[in-house]
Amino acid sequence: MSLSTQIYGEEFQFHSLGGIFWVRKSLLLISDVHLGKVAHFRKFGAAVPRKAVHKNYVVLDEIVDYFKPFQICFLGDLFHSSLNKEWELFENWVAKTPAEIILVAGNHDIISPHKFENLGIPIFEELLLGNFLLTHHPKEREGYFNFCGHIHPAVRLQGFGRQRLKLPCFFKTDSQMILPAFGEFTGTHVLQPKKEDEVFVIVENEVVKV
Amino acid sequence: MNQTELFHIAENWFQQQGWKPFSFQKQTWKAFLGGKHGLLNAPTGSGKTYALWFPIILNHIKKHPDYRTKHKKGLKAIWITPLRALSQEIKQSAERVAEDLGTQMTVGIRTGDTSTKERARQRTSMPDLLITTPESLQLLLASKGYDKVFQDCSAIVVDEWHELLGTKRGVQMELGLSRLKTVCRELRIWGISATIGNLDQAREVLLGPNSQAFENSILVQAKLNKKITVKSIIPEKMETFPWRGHLGLHLLEEVVPIINNSKTTLLFTNTRSQCEIWFQKILEKHPEYAGEIAMHHGSVNKETRIWVEQAIRNESLKAVVCTSSLDLGVDFAPVETVVQIGGPKGVARFLQRAGRSGHRPGKESIIYFLPTHAMELIEASALQMAVKENAVEDRLPFLNSYDVLIQYLTTLAVSDGFYPEEIFSEIQQTFCYQGITEDIWQWLLNFLVMGSQSLKTYDEYKKVEVEADGKFKVNNRAIAMRHRFQIGTIVGDASVAVRYQKGGYIGSIEEYFISKLNAGDVFTFAGRNLEFIRIKGMQAHVKNSTKHTNKVPSWMGGRLSFSAQMSELLRNEMYTAGLETKKQSDEIKALLPMFNKQREESIVPKPDEFLIETFKTRDGHHHIFYPFEGRGVHEAMSSLLSYRISLLSPITCSLAFNDYGFEMLSDKPIDIQAVIDNNLFSTDYMLSDLQKSLNSNEMARRKFRDIAVISGMVFTGYPEKGIKMKHLQSSSQLLFDVFRDFEPDNLMFQQAFTETFEHQLEEGRLRLALERIAQQEIVWKPCKNPTPFSFPIITDRLREKLSNEKLADRIKRMTKILTR
Repeated sequence: MSLSTQIYGEEFQFHSLGGIFWVRKSLLLISDVHLGKVAHFRKFGAAVPRKAVHKNYVVLDEIVDYFKPFQICFLGDLFHSSLNKEWELFENWVAKTPAEIILVAGNHDIISPHKFENLGIPIFEELLLGNFLLTHHPKEREGYFNFCGHIHPAVRLQGFGRQRLKLPCFFKTDSQMILPAFGEFTGTHVLQPKKEDEVFVIVENEVVKV
Repeated sequence: MNQTELFHIAENWFQQQGWKPFSFQKQTWKAFLGGKHGLLNAPTGSGKTYALWFPIILNHIKKHPDYRTKHKKGLKAIWITPLRALSQEIKQSAERVAEDLGTQMTVGIRTGDTSTKERARQRTSMPDLLITTPESLQLLLASKGYDKVFQDCSAIVVDEWHELLGTKRGVQMELGLSRLKTVCRELRIWGISATIGNLDQAREVLLGPNSQAFENSILVQAKLNKKITVKSIIPEKMETFPWRGHLGLHLLEEVVPIINNSKTTLLFTNTRSQCEIWFQKILEKHPEYAGEIAMHHGSVNKETRIWVEQAIRNESLKAVVCTSSLDLGVDFAPVETVVQIGGPKGVARFLQRAGRSGHRPGKESIIYFLPTHAMELIEASALQMAVKENAVEDRLPFLNSYDVLIQYLTTLAVSDGFYPEEIFSEIQQTFCYQGITEDIWQWLLNFLVMGSQSLKTYDEYKKVEVEADGKFKVNNRAIAMRHRFQIGTIVGDASVAVRYQKGGYIGSIEEYFISKLNAGDVFTFAGRNLEFIRIKGMQAHVKNSTKHTNKVPSWMGGRLSFSAQMSELLRNEMYTAGLETKKQSDEIKALLPMFNKQREESIVPKPDEFLIETFKTRDGHHHIFYPFEGRGVHEAMSSLLSYRISLLSPITCSLAFNDYGFEMLSDKPIDIQAVIDNNLFSTDYMLSDLQKSLNSNEMARRKFRDIAVISGMVFTGYPEKGIKMKHLQSSSQLLFDVFRDFEPDNLMFQQAFTETFEHQLEEGRLRLALERIAQQEIVWKPCKNPTPFSFPIITDRLREKLSNEKLADRIKRMTKILTR
């Protein structure tokens, strides 16, 4: 079972790996995977463990297998850097994944669009689907609900006995849902929720609303 | 020229100044000219500089009888100083001797402050005598053809060696020396150290155990009997004296007569923020001092610091508020009095500071100790004992710091490249790597070349390459450049330069403080009230402000722990609380009101008692344990104990510790009776329990941060150049997780744990402490309110966290979402 939320009468399911599933459309939203980051670091002489490269594909497989979506839409920063050999791993992953893949470009996506188009992945600046606006950077637009990434949101929790925790989260305002970063080797940015905001934190293998 | 004639030259010079050489100086000259290596143990201001500059120059004269007329250029001696601020003073002394003796030797400085132009000039023509820092020496090893530069260098002096020993800069120095021993044809290695507990070991680390240099070396000790008097400033009204705090401003008025009665007074504070606050407050309460007092700390810009140092020398200042930045080097004859504000946390440091006053031979040094809270009066009393017994602590040298070795090997690969066989035999002779095996060496080489232990086709890892003849070399210019920027072993928060809009440089502040400021915020820095305008690149723009503010930048800086000896002295002082008044020191007598308050709900422990207090406040359930063993041991013991308690029932708690005891703060009460019944202070399985407890807290994580930066796995950018390398920056926190999940056997990752054990937790002392507790009776006092003993601990905000509860369970109890 996964936690879900209703927006404009549509059902969206959360996954603890950091994706959101639009049930009626069978569309899986994933943001900020930052593929190729480990390879990029290694290419520049920082010895990040090489085995970490594969982890992203393992979790991608896991979430795809769970929802079996018809379409996957990446909300930007799919690749961290310029082209490196990890592109080949990505090609393999695309070839074996039985879903249509779409990319809404982010600031890190500097790889030539042709490379993506050759794999059959269309690239958009933004995507309008009914009342929903899909972007990388958070956007406000009258009458639309915005799904976006970029921020890598997290919140800090505090409890009795001076306990403090920082956890990545899905961050929802009345017109926007910011997705957590899906990637393994990515940082977070702490947000301060207002009263009307809803926060869904990722706790181990669960998504919990706080 | 024979030795007598050479000595004659030196003694003549002393006579012209109206001085007489000390016997330790002559002893050093003799040993040096006799070809020996060695360690000179002499305090600051005793003439140690002349003890070694003279024989260096005399040796040159000896080898070049025509030194007055002929001069061959090139590096002849290196003087290493840990603080670049000291280099100017050393240069002046050296130049004076070189000139007066009629040599044509030149003296140059090369530190992080040296201009690019000057550095380029040095590249074509090195000065005869070079004054530099451990980092700049490594940078020289990173430049092409360094072996030619060093080949005629006949001496290297490592000044303030006690400051380097026990740090990774010391390890860096060991490595540098191991190379120079091969590259220089005829090298003498000398160290200068203040008094520490392990002087013999200090010499061994400097020269290399079992090395020829060590065999042929000597320890010279300056025996200057100097009287040191410690006077505590005891508050008149103990009842109103605070139980906690670290500023000590309550006693500000007591300092005024001390300043007035002496020519120049140095007020030592423990942190830069405390220094800023004291300076402000003195001026606020006593505006008449304007222009007569100054401030000196490491973040104030260089010009101001030099100005202050000069002003002390020419007696134009009444008082200077300072930090450890004035601990070392520079000789200030006019200083008559020293005031230490707050516990100095080390006897050696306290003695060194005391020695800043009354510099003239035969004069006594007076140091006042100003306690910042009541408990520190016990410390004051213990310090007096320590000074009497000269109970100076050891500096523990590092072993097997692979991060520093990786950096060093990359350095050699960047310059001329290296052949592993040659370098392996060199580093085996250092203290730090005396135990290195062939396997580990091979691991490190693999790591350098492949970034892992095996080759994979899709991997594009690039750093050091192996050339056809087996030479390890960096051929990529960008990698070489990044490495040069990263050389060093002091890892701090990124610092931001503070400037006026027109460009005037004021100093530097840690980035995290600046990041909390909004435009228009006013803060105090370098004794000024400044309004924050904006941040641009790695610079913060500010303008002067007339507004008052309480915002003072804080600098993280390490917190020091009491040594074993000091802890014992402290316990013994506290135990006198139970004695009759005439057997007590003035400090303990003055503490009577606090002891009485403590006894209302709890006890002042006796030698055979071990005290535990528990109480509840708004913050949670407090459980406080008092071993009186020093911070380091308490950190370890709290980690060990909370792990063992968590085995009884799952628990989440935060840990705080100071030199007296430690606290476990939890949202649920801990069953202390169960702690006692289950004998959780046992030394059985201590090591493995401690190891397991580390996995669940953050000490190793913090150690890893430094290791990741030093070994070049995390790139910190070019802070001063303002060049951003965002796409290559990652936090060491993330990296720690990746290593834990994918490469837990990586030596760099493992090192984080070893360092935590050996340096942070002082495993050996922990065992002794537990054995002592086993002999004591455990006294558990449930209280209604915090006791005076507990106050300084429970108000400490720097905490460790530990939890073995399921995260989801915890979240359910945590509802409040935090601001910030």
